Amino acid sequence: MNIFIREWRANRKALIIWSVCMILFVLIGMSKYTAYSTEGGSDIFNQMPTTMKALLGIGSFDVTTMSGFYAFLYPYLALTTGIHAVLLGNGIIAKEERDKTTEFLMAKPVSRASIITAKLMVAVINVLIINLITLVSSILMVSAYNKGESITGEIVVFLIDMLITQLIFLTIGTLLSAFYRNPKASGALATGILFGAYIISKVTDITDQLGFLNILSPLKYFSYQRIVEGNGLNIGIVLLSIALIAACTSLTYLCYQRRDLSI
Amino acid sequence: MNVIEIKKLTKNYGKARGIIDVDLNVEQGEVFGFIGPNGAGKSTTIRTLLGLIYPTSGSATIFGKNCTESPEVRKELGYLPSEVFYYDNMKVIDLLKYSASFYHKDCTNRIKELAEIMDLDLKKKIDELSFGNKKKVGIVQGLLHEPKLIILDEPTSGLDPLMQQKFFELIEEENKKGATVFFSSHILTEVQRLCNRVAFIKEGRIIKVEKMSTLQENTYKRINIEAKAGISSEAFNLRGVSDFTAKGNTANFIFKGNMNDMIRKLSEVELRNISITEPDLEEIFLNYYAKEE
Repeated sequence: MNIFIREWRANRKALIIWSVCMILFVLIGMSKYTAYSTEGGSDIFNQMPTTMKALLGIGSFDVTTMSGFYAFLYPYLALTTGIHAVLLGNGIIAKEERDKTTEFLMAKPVSRASIITAKLMVAVINVLIINLITLVSSILMVSAYNKGESITGEIVVFLIDMLITQLIFLTIGTLLSAFYRNPKASGALATGILFGAYIISKVTDITDQLGFLNILSPLKYFSYQRIVEGNGLNIGIVLLSIALIAACTSLTYLCYQRRDLSI
Repeated sequence: MNVIEIKKLTKNYGKARGIIDVDLNVEQGEVFGFIGPNGAGKSTTIRTLLGLIYPTSGSATIFGKNCTESPEVRKELGYLPSEVFYYDNMKVIDLLKYSASFYHKDCTNRIKELAEIMDLDLKKKIDELSFGNKKKVGIVQGLLHEPKLIILDEPTSGLDPLMQQKFFELIEEENKKGATVFFSSHILTEVQRLCNRVAFIKEGRIIKVEKMSTLQENTYKRINIEAKAGISSEAFNLRGVSDFTAKGNTANFIFKGNMNDMIRKLSEVELRNISITEPDLEEIFLNYYAKEE
């Protein structure tokens, strides 16, 4: 419990900053909606070539409606919270070695597994808070700008998708720091994987032929089109994602318990 | 009862040498010195013992248990690492309380006592402290739960002589109360007064484990002479002479054995000057034990 409290306090400031950033992000993102939804807006988008739309992140969504606009804004929210999750997951374990506090901690009567458990709990709570804050600010901001029908249901589904993505990135982050002895290398790799996932998601947006690459990008595990159409998440993919999270978590425990700690 | 038992402990770091076949037993209540030059494998031995790194082969236990399999045995362990880094942004008192929170007992009074002895300001932030003061935080942190086994890795570096003195008194006191102490250092003289036994480690291997009393019983002398004529390298080919260097009219060596034999030998040489001094224990180790093995 003491490690949990210590980690919670150590992450508190970062959590507040990230929370404020997410609120501002949603606020600024939504304030652009008026520009997209003005009369004649849809003509401009209809004339745009598909590749251009894909690059801008618009895809096949009708961004002049609130539902389409939120689907266009959402990937950026998911990317940002993904960065948060992967860095948090990586840092929360790697920092003991980076700051050379391992010798202090490991001379205490605690097992490596209980250290991981405490740190994972803090990280998951942090991720949940970021998710809830994004959810609440999205619902509030959308209802402030929305003139059509309510899309709260759609937002909730998007944010469930975001939570799954966050947890995948979080456990990838913890796994990397549990696997690699060098805390700097694992941090660089964690960010690398995230941007790799983002680039893949962009590439597969532009062309239809590389859809299989999406398996490498947790940002593309769920079809946004499906969510916009009100069909929710594919249960099979949800289960696979949970399996991936569970696998990364168990490997985190396994690797961290087996390797030499770097001092 | 042996508090520390290390059997055939080997640790390789890839191709680099770690430690090879280290065997050590530390009995309950003793102060055990662990001496060797920098890079000899002292810290590697301790870190393997504590379960921070895994041995390539062999075993290491404290209180009969392996630290990785039974982390709870570490509740009776106080450890002072050679380099002290702590969570920055934390005040000294917060760090000490965090450390105490692992032991499920009230350590507040002991923290105050120790901080007073070591002259440590509890309200300062850790990242504002000098190296020596960080070391003091480490000492208090290692002793605040009154552990039954105290492991010290180069504890005196960074402390001024006055603090070293206070620190030694503190360790002596803990030992009188029943704590076993494992004291690693590269300076023999500093462990000389405290230790019951010493082990000497060099290039990853234990060269010798010896009782302090035996070491001090044998008389070793370092002899420097300056003769009127040149000294041949065979002139002092006597049992007990080692580390012999002759250069022109001067010669320099360590002697262990019957003093009268040496005096007779010296009288054969026309001397201009002579000095007979106590060699430090490190020299003794390096020149006798290292060669005998």
